[in-house]
Amino acid sequence: MAILALALLGACKREVRELRPDPPVAAALGGVAALPVGIGGRPPEVYFALGKPYRTNAYQLSEGKRLYAWFGCAECHGQGEGTARGPALLDGWWNYGPAMETIYLSLRDGRPGGMPAFHTRLTEDQLWQLAGYVQQLGAYSGGAAAPGRSDEPPVRPAENRAPARFAPLEP
Amino acid sequence: MRAQPRDTGREEAALEASLAAVWSSRPGLLGWLTTVDHKAIGRRYIVTAFLFLALGGVLALLMRWQLAQPEGRLLGPDRYNQVFTMHGTTMMFLFAVPVMEAMGVYLVPLMVGTRNIAFPRLNAFSYWVYLFGGALLWIAFLLDMAPDVGWFAYVPLAGPQYGPGKRADIWAQMITFTEVSALAVAVGLVVTVFKQRAPGMSLDRIPLFVWAMLVTSFVVILAMPSIVLASTALILDRLVGTQFFNPAAGGDVLLWQHLFWFFGHPEVYIIFIPAVGMVSTILATFCRRPVFGYLAMVLALVGTGLLAFGLWVHHMFTTGLPRLGESFFTASSMAIAVPSGLQIFCWLATLWGARPRLTVPMLYVLAFLFTFVLGGMTGVMVASVPLDTQLHDSFFVVAHFHYVLVGGAVFPLLGAIHYWYPKLTGRLMEERLGRWAWGLVFGGFNLAFFPMHLLGLWGMPRRVYTYPPELPWGGLNLFSSLSAALLAAGFLLFFWNAWRSARHGEAAGPDPWGAGTLEWATSSPPPPWNFTRIPVVEGADPLRDSPDALKVAAGLRLDRRELLLTSVMAAEPEARESSPRDSVWPLLAAIATTAMLIWSIFTPWAVVWGAIPVAATLIFWFWPRGTPEDES
Ligand code: HEC
Repeated sequence: MAILALALLGACKREVRELRPDPPVAAALGGVAALPVGIGGRPPEVYFALGKPYRTNAYQLSEGKRLYAWFGCAECHGQGEGTARGPALLDGWWNYGPAMETIYLSLRDGRPGGMPAFHTRLTEDQLWQLAGYVQQLGAYSGGAAAPGRSDEPPVRPAENRAPARFAPLEP
Repeated sequence: MRAQPRDTGREEAALEASLAAVWSSRPGLLGWLTTVDHKAIGRRYIVTAFLFLALGGVLALLMRWQLAQPEGRLLGPDRYNQVFTMHGTTMMFLFAVPVMEAMGVYLVPLMVGTRNIAFPRLNAFSYWVYLFGGALLWIAFLLDMAPDVGWFAYVPLAGPQYGPGKRADIWAQMITFTEVSALAVAVGLVVTVFKQRAPGMSLDRIPLFVWAMLVTSFVVILAMPSIVLASTALILDRLVGTQFFNPAAGGDVLLWQHLFWFFGHPEVYIIFIPAVGMVSTILATFCRRPVFGYLAMVLALVGTGLLAFGLWVHHMFTTGLPRLGESFFTASSMAIAVPSGLQIFCWLATLWGARPRLTVPMLYVLAFLFTFVLGGMTGVMVASVPLDTQLHDSFFVVAHFHYVLVGGAVFPLLGAIHYWYPKLTGRLMEERLGRWAWGLVFGGFNLAFFPMHLLGLWGMPRRVYTYPPELPWGGLNLFSSLSAALLAAGFLLFFWNAWRSARHGEAAGPDPWGAGTLEWATSSPPPPWNFTRIPVVEGADPLRDSPDALKVAAGLRLDRRELLLTSVMAAEPEARESSPRDSVWPLLAAIATTAMLIWSIFTPWAVVWGAIPVAATLIFWFWPRGTPEDES
């Protein structure tokens, strides 16, 4: 019974829909302590205080998926398989490392090899949503909270179905 | 062959003692969990359904509170979505359909004069599945993961792309629970009505309520597979990435609406037809004459049941249909008014010069006539395409279907509860409290919902969580919310009355109303075996036709649960049949099914591993126990 109750309580976090975070929380989300090279670092305290929603909450993850479509990531990264203009995101191989805050930094500040910076176009929490989604995309196994397939011609199994095909690293 | 004890020529007291020995459930918790008595299960069903009614009512009050003023602050948009979805889902799937079937479970075997429902274990199973399905939905709501996609769960909103998380999955799986339980009950009722009627109860002597339940059961059996298909396709789309509703991959979004409404519209009649049967029964009793036009009534019931399947598209007039389709479904939607109108006129003819006794059940019948006719009129209005295009998704529609559902089903149901309460508990409900509750419910309902017609005409859309103060809707909304409080007070009074009368009510004899149908021939509440001797029926109103002594059939064995099978048409005795004993396996099978269904929301492997306990419990359930089938 107790286990069941715990499981249920854990589950409810996954489903909460925080439509818009409080402004101070949103501001604090930007405070990543990055290493000078721009790879690795430490997410802000508030990220942990919130319970890492951007990786475990179904709503946040699917918001990330929508942003991925709306902000043209597919132009360069395809549906994750990569194109001539940008690397694959679902092969489990990361140029800059698999950590959440590294992906966040890739999105926020861009990367020298041709990745544009998005900090002028997305809010802090949107950047995190997107980072969570991208990390999930390249994760070795699908999480319990994951977006479903899109209403588009299927090019790969839905996020909640398939782990990355050749994923050497567990992020 | 060893001589078997029969009931022929036995003393009444000795007979009852031996019947009690085979039919009674064990005392205590185990007996409660294992019983297959249709009365125990029917009562449980009714109480549970009313519990869900109360919960759904609380949600309705929350919404009314939120909408009472512009820019209301009680519920946010996300919570509001969950609340209106939960309200609709609870009321339709967990209250209205189950409670009607529950009334059938309790009353049909009594009214046809048999000792238990057919397939009693299946019946027990259906209750447990229903209970667990309802619990799933409400626990999810408490955990903030309740479905938020409307009680109809349209794709693409409920589909994998726009319905993140498990919310829509929980909806779809909850539907599976209710489907299973409704189908199980329907099958039991059909067989009970066809094969277990008392000798002599030929087709033209079946009470109207039983006819209504028979038609309803067939509608359930024909309509449910459609939603089974739809909800399964939805959950497959969401969980394993199939493409049923993905237009880009050759699927079809409108397919969902067709499948849903092919079930959803008959669902309205699944709720309404039993209510019609209740109205006829109550009228006949308090007008002290049979309902006018028995044949017309039965044909109207059957006709409603058939037409119910021909008008689902009128829920989709604004999706863009070919002209011919629009015209056809307009015509069929208006055609359903014919059998309904026919029944209304039969009831009016019954009432004509009858000087009915205005008891509480009768008052509810009058409330039904008034409210339902109004709802029917607006129904004919929205059945026309040009008007519907204007009114679609506005509060007018909300007003319309509450008039039809509350007026057409809840009022008769409340009347029926007052009417059959003595049979359920052995006591009468308090009359004065009942009248007060009736006044509050009837008045509060009309005051709360009539303004919604106007709000809809003034352009207020459905399913909005708030509206700006500049729009002219504030006044009527406030009025409607205040009246909703009256309605709620009426229901509170009703619940209080039911609760109190269960212990302090005036004791009722076997037949407090002087009614004519068989359920009143046995004590209130009936013993576990219903009838000490199986009655023999010689007219449509057995108790009135032969008020002194009902003829009875004899020759049933006393050393096992035995009942009489009769022929479908003329109800001539055909065979003696044993009726299953109490068993814990239905409960265990329901638990295994529940585990499998809920688990499958999280991984498809649940279907594989979860099927093993389900199979195991079913095998034990049906394990042959070496009792040979009896011939004749
Ligand atoms: C103009 C093309 C372009 C667009 C648009 C674009 N990217 Fe990139 N992205 C790149 C390139 C090129 C790289 C490789 C940069 C490098 O290696 O220095 C990259 C790298 C990345 C990385 C780091 C990958 C790693 O291996 O560490 C992530 C994460 C990423 N992009 C996510 C996104 C997301 C999310 C979007 C949409 C908001 C997006 N990109 C839009 C071109 C693009």
